Amino acid sequence: MLVWSRSGRFIVWLLAALLIGIIFIAPLAVILAASLAQQWNGVFPTGFTLEHYASAAGGASGDSVVASLITGLVASLLALLCGSWAALALRAQGEAWSRTLGLLFFIPSAVPSVSVGLGLLVAFSQRPLLLNGTTAIVILAHFVLISAFSFGNVSAGLARLSPDYEEVASSLGARPTYRLFNVTLPLIAPYLIAAFGLSFALSMGELGATVMVYPPGWVTLPVAIFGLTDRGDIFSGAALTMILVAATLALLIGLERLPLGAVGRRA
Amino acid sequence: MSDLAVRAAPARPNFNGLWVAPPLIVLGLTFLYPLVLIAHAALVADAGGIDLGGFLSVLHSRAFLNALINTGLIALAATAGCLVLGVTLALILAFVPFPGSTFVARLIDTFIALPTFLVTLAFTFLYGSAGMLNGALTQSFGLSEAPVHFLYSAWGVILAEVTVYTPFVLRPLLAAFSLVDQSQIEVAGLLGAKPWRIVRNVILPAALPAAIAGGSLCLLLTVNEFGIVLFIGAKGVITLPLLIYDKAIQESDYQAACAIALVNIALSLGLFSLYRFAARRLGG
Amino acid sequence: MTSVALGAEARARGEAQTLGSNSTVKFDAVTVAYRGAIVLKPLTLDVAAGEILAMIGPSGSGKTTALRAVAGFVRPASGRIHIGGADVTDLPPYERGLAMVVQNYALFPHMRVADNVAFGLKARGAAKPLIEERVDDALRIVGMQKYLKRYPRELSGGQQQRVAIARALAVRPRVLLLDEPLSALDAQIRRSMVEEIARLHADLPGLTILYVTHDQSEALTLADRIAILRDGALSAIGRTSDLYRRPPNRFAAEFLGRANLLPVVVEGNTRTDGMVAVRAGDDRLVVASDAAPSGARRLLCVRPQHLTLTAEYGYSNKVCGRLREVLWQGELTHLVAEVGDTVMRIVATRLPSLPERGAPLDLFFAPADASLIPEEAGV
Repeated sequence: MLVWSRSGRFIVWLLAALLIGIIFIAPLAVILAASLAQQWNGVFPTGFTLEHYASAAGGASGDSVVASLITGLVASLLALLCGSWAALALRAQGEAWSRTLGLLFFIPSAVPSVSVGLGLLVAFSQRPLLLNGTTAIVILAHFVLISAFSFGNVSAGLARLSPDYEEVASSLGARPTYRLFNVTLPLIAPYLIAAFGLSFALSMGELGATVMVYPPGWVTLPVAIFGLTDRGDIFSGAALTMILVAATLALLIGLERLPLGAVGRRA
Repeated sequence: MSDLAVRAAPARPNFNGLWVAPPLIVLGLTFLYPLVLIAHAALVADAGGIDLGGFLSVLHSRAFLNALINTGLIALAATAGCLVLGVTLALILAFVPFPGSTFVARLIDTFIALPTFLVTLAFTFLYGSAGMLNGALTQSFGLSEAPVHFLYSAWGVILAEVTVYTPFVLRPLLAAFSLVDQSQIEVAGLLGAKPWRIVRNVILPAALPAAIAGGSLCLLLTVNEFGIVLFIGAKGVITLPLLIYDKAIQESDYQAACAIALVNIALSLGLFSLYRFAARRLGG
Repeated sequence: MTSVALGAEARARGEAQTLGSNSTVKFDAVTVAYRGAIVLKPLTLDVAAGEILAMIGPSGSGKTTALRAVAGFVRPASGRIHIGGADVTDLPPYERGLAMVVQNYALFPHMRVADNVAFGLKARGAAKPLIEERVDDALRIVGMQKYLKRYPRELSGGQQQRVAIARALAVRPRVLLLDEPLSALDAQIRRSMVEEIARLHADLPGLTILYVTHDQSEALTLADRIAILRDGALSAIGRTSDLYRRPPNRFAAEFLGRANLLPVVVEGNTRTDGMVAVRAGDDRLVVASDAAPSGARRLLCVRPQHLTLTAEYGYSNKVCGRLREVLWQGELTHLVAEVGDTVMRIVATRLPSLPERGAPLDLFFAPADASLIPEEAGV
């Protein structure tokens, strides 16, 4: 303990509570309040209404929710597949190779998302592959951006895996494929799930690349929210934002509670 | 304990290496190929052959230089803010624990997963011209118009980025602090050292590598930030990513967009290398 | 279940037989390198079918490397490895007909005990009835039948290791590889586990066991033969009792049990009764040993527990020294004496009274309990 005196500690707690409250909790609370407000002219919102949520449920806003969820699901699954594949394949290589190639897999996350979108736009608006204006290009953009996180998470999990398990499995007669599906993957399941959750969350909030490539029929939640707020319709925007936050949190918490059997949480 | 682990060298020709190929191919097609095309569009003239003229003219344009300076200044300011706030919070959370501090740590972890523009939207309600702060001030002081305008300037962007990216400094710091030997602190306290002294001599040295790693990560993320700048939408506050968006989508000037993107990517890759170097060398 | 029945089972399934010469292991000038440094110098070693060979040595001696070479996790830089007469050097671990038990048990945490034990059989595509039978059998051998449905995390260390052994036995390996299997266990559990492994070996005479450990007492209890490794090379090998009674070199003498090494000089007259006369300072001694040239310098090796302080046992050898330290430990009394320039340790179980520090001391021992070791420079 750094601070011993009662009053000293109290002051510090107060400071911390203030900082945390203002910085982290207030924004969320404010948006929640706005989404439920009829009007907000003065200091506090006035009136309580659910009409913003109602309008969000149907029509264009409802479509955005669906679009975001589908994009997130597909992109995350693909990213998990690709990232895990890369992590597993690199682990078998020597140290030098896995370091350099690993770096390569991380680069898409270091580059600004708008450039990724621009690149995809330029690359796939021409032959041989024309994806411009399709939902596929949106999913592709999300996939590129989040693969690095899947790769990183799974690599970290594999690094913590004791080689004993796979060696013993091998000595008992398990071929590499059998070993992969019955020993390696189950043992890193928590990392796979965490990677999927993180990927999904990132996809739900992705804006920079999406805004460069999205077709009119496939508007994700962030793009829709921007559209609303740009028009001045901030209350509907707030409602839609709350839906996005709720969906993201529900997913993260849901994944965490997945019964993992005997493996449990390996921090 | 058993002897050092010895790796098996491959017996037959190593086909295991081929397993890396599919993800590499995917990476190449979806990321490297577009990157090459960006460079191509930026540097190569329509008729073929390197055309540095077009590229350089974009780089010399007012809009670009403005955006470059904005990007740099905002990123530096935001990173500084993140570091100050991050270190303070990390010190408090790690060394002056209070009930619920673990909950707070979890909360902060969850925040990282949320979109960056969320904070900006909230700020509109808090600090916007029709927001809470202005409303309170006009009401209490009977002002005729809203006094607080910082939201629609670079400061708004900086504040939002500090809010959003402090967790990226906080987490490695908390991890580093958890490794600091508690007994060191207790003994120092017993010997009469004031908290500030303890912080300076015992804790900060432990924090430095984590702070540098976290700080360079922040720098990278703030340089790349788009959503916040877009949502603030203030005139004159244009960063490189936003400029790329404007050029490409609003003006359909793809060559300019690619030129700017090339610079932005180069900058990001440089910062990324810095971050990796800091993280590895300093063990952050 | 008797070993004969086990063997018949194995034959019926067309798997590797655990009887006969199918379970020999041969190291043929095997070397292993790691990052350019030689970790195992050319090792040539034969392991007979059905024996327990313990490979012991300090850290870095190469014993684990040798074991992993047999397992197939490490590829020799040169040399070949044969199992059951067949060259397996190019075979992957899962095709060698082995099974391994490691220090940290490595039970698969996401599977129950039954599934863990069944793992090897399932991996090889065995039929369900056979799997059930073998799992049952293996668990019965180690006494863990009641724990079929448990998860590894619900078991203690000793129980987990037993399950790990069952898992290895279930696949009827030709050779069982044990890599410091008891090092992670408490001392008490370790003692009972040593007895269990000894019993296992007796019940499965066809199973060859390679046992790596740094604990010489485990090796002394369990092994038929012991190979002592040091700095990547074989320092000594032989039957356990031979190695203990007649250590071939100083390292073996000191690593396998404690040893007192007294510098002596061989006397002129060679005797014909399998004894050699030597001189240590003024003392004339007789040692059971092969003939040695007169005037040669040797080290006389005698174990602490073979020295007594009184003449009542009629041991003909006697050296004189001075008591330096005495430590009473209940069951035993440790004494440290100086004989000339040499420090000698004595372990006594029966002492009528504790001698005093500094008192002169007579140490008696029998010729049969001593041996001669070549003197090595700078060891």
